[in-house]
Amino acid sequence: MSETFYINKSTNINERGGELMDSVFDELYQKYHHDVFQFLFYLVRNKEQAEDLVQEVYIRVFKAHHRFQGKSSEKTWLFSIARNVAIDYFRKQKGWKNRLLEKFDMSANQVKDEDPIPEEITVQNEEITWIYKCLEFCTVDQRSVIILRYLQDLSISETAKVLGWTESKVKTTQHRSLKVLKKHMEMSYEKEGLNSEKVRVER
Amino acid sequence: MKKSEWSDRELEELLRQMPSIHDHRNPHDIYQNISLKSRKTKPWLLPCLAAIAAVLLFFILVPKFMGGINYDQDSAAEKSSAGGNIAAKQDSLALKKENASTIETESPMTKQAELLKMKNVKTAIYKDEVGDGAVFTYWVPDTQAQILVPVSIIANQTRGQSWLTKYTDLMANLQEEEWGLSDFYPLNATLKLDKATKTLIVDVPSNHQYGQGSTTEANFINIIKNNMSSNSTTIKKIKFTTNGQPGIELGNFGKVEEKDVVPQNKHAYFFYFPEGSKLPFLTPSVETYKDINSAFEAMKTDQSMGLKSSLLSLPPLNNVSISNKIMYISFGVKPRLENNQQSIFCLEAILLTAKEYGVEKVIIKNPSLTNLGTFDLTKEIRVPIAPNLRNIP
Repeated sequence: MSETFYINKSTNINERGGELMDSVFDELYQKYHHDVFQFLFYLVRNKEQAEDLVQEVYIRVFKAHHRFQGKSSEKTWLFSIARNVAIDYFRKQKGWKNRLLEKFDMSANQVKDEDPIPEEITVQNEEITWIYKCLEFCTVDQRSVIILRYLQDLSISETAKVLGWTESKVKTTQHRSLKVLKKHMEMSYEKEGLNSEKVRVER
Repeated sequence: MKKSEWSDRELEELLRQMPSIHDHRNPHDIYQNISLKSRKTKPWLLPCLAAIAAVLLFFILVPKFMGGINYDQDSAAEKSSAGGNIAAKQDSLALKKENASTIETESPMTKQAELLKMKNVKTAIYKDEVGDGAVFTYWVPDTQAQILVPVSIIANQTRGQSWLTKYTDLMANLQEEEWGLSDFYPLNATLKLDKATKTLIVDVPSNHQYGQGSTTEANFINIIKNNMSSNSTTIKKIKFTTNGQPGIELGNFGKVEEKDVVPQNKHAYFFYFPEGSKLPFLTPSVETYKDINSAFEAMKTDQSMGLKSSLLSLPPLNNVSISNKIMYISFGVKPRLENNQQSIFCLEAILLTAKEYGVEKVIIKNPSLTNLGTFDLTKEIRVPIAPNLRNIP
């Protein structure tokens, strides 16, 4: 994370040859693809969507190369772009077009309601699945903070940079999101059963 | 049920244990997708172009449609007044009005309305009105069968048809009675042209009606003579036959075999108002006058048999002179020349009379008006091609 990668500011993506773009892509892919994808997946909770959005992130990165100032680390820059992409995606989903389509297409609506929980999570213990489900109840901001802080292991200040917030705002949001998670974990615990409590108690 | 407590630390621990999700796609595929997507710039460009094209098309097509509608209206208007002359239409209108007002008492209002309606009407056919059509003149007796009135029509020309065939065909379409004249056409005779001898052969059936009464006989002969002299310059002679046998039996004239066609000229034009009509027929006199001045002199007074003076509404004519087929005239100062319908009719009478004396153009010296109806008095005025334009269906 500490290593910073400065992209030559004088070259514009549109003027670059395919080869140069190729090499930039390779580098970005190698270093950050996994993290960015992970971030997007937990944010939108759908693998296919995350796959689409990660491509959008690359497109925006190529377009905005010349604007990258090198003030922040490349990783935080990429995360902030990814977050904007995700926000745009949510916005689009809420748009009138989709709402109209949903009205007419009941079946699609029903299918969409439940994004499938990927295998990687279901094979883990029950609590992981629960907490994944509970993440749904967090707002996008809260979810972003949780992903960045715990899944990506960013520091408070790095998270603040990605989100463009102050550190105190990150802290409060983190606190609130944990509270939300706690509440919903308890609710699902009450609903879903004793044996898991046993597991937890045993641990 | 025991309420479980989750500490922040436990939750953080759990979150850190969340499995990492992998993008299993080949980086090469991702790269391909990106380059495909980024090339697809400006998604609004195509719909925009389509919209602009549609708008352009709209603007191109709409005037065409409008034009089509206008054209329909035009042709409809033309149909109703066939040939664009409104005179006859207004005449029949006036007739209707007149009929109505004979039942009621005639009010000055309706009279005025009629006069207003008949504003700037020209009665004769002028060169610019003919276009591609052919002008035919038919001589028709008035209701008293006393005078012969020339009536002209503009007909579409048909290829491969001689003018005489067309001329006789159109006789059936004449509406003499509607025009306020007496029914005369079609002729109960066949007309043939012998080009070699420049002779028109008129063949009547043996039971023809043209021998009944002296006026009918005279009119028949005169009408045929006049028709030929008005419409043809080549025909010099008319031969009459009955059922193919030479000669036509006429009560008073006896047996008539042939007549010479003499060019009709040196007549003066007068007004003939059919009963109940404000639109006059400009009718030539039977008499001929030795020069144009005596013709104009005669035109100042009413004549017998319903011919009315055709110069009453005009100031006196001065300095009439003809040179090189151009007639120069000037109007006296009192009464003033007025731009009204009567003056237009009078000017037409002058033009038609001038034509009788071989005049082609008329120039009015120092006109007190620049325009009389549609006549431009400051320029030379061409004499009409034929008098009394009427429409036929």
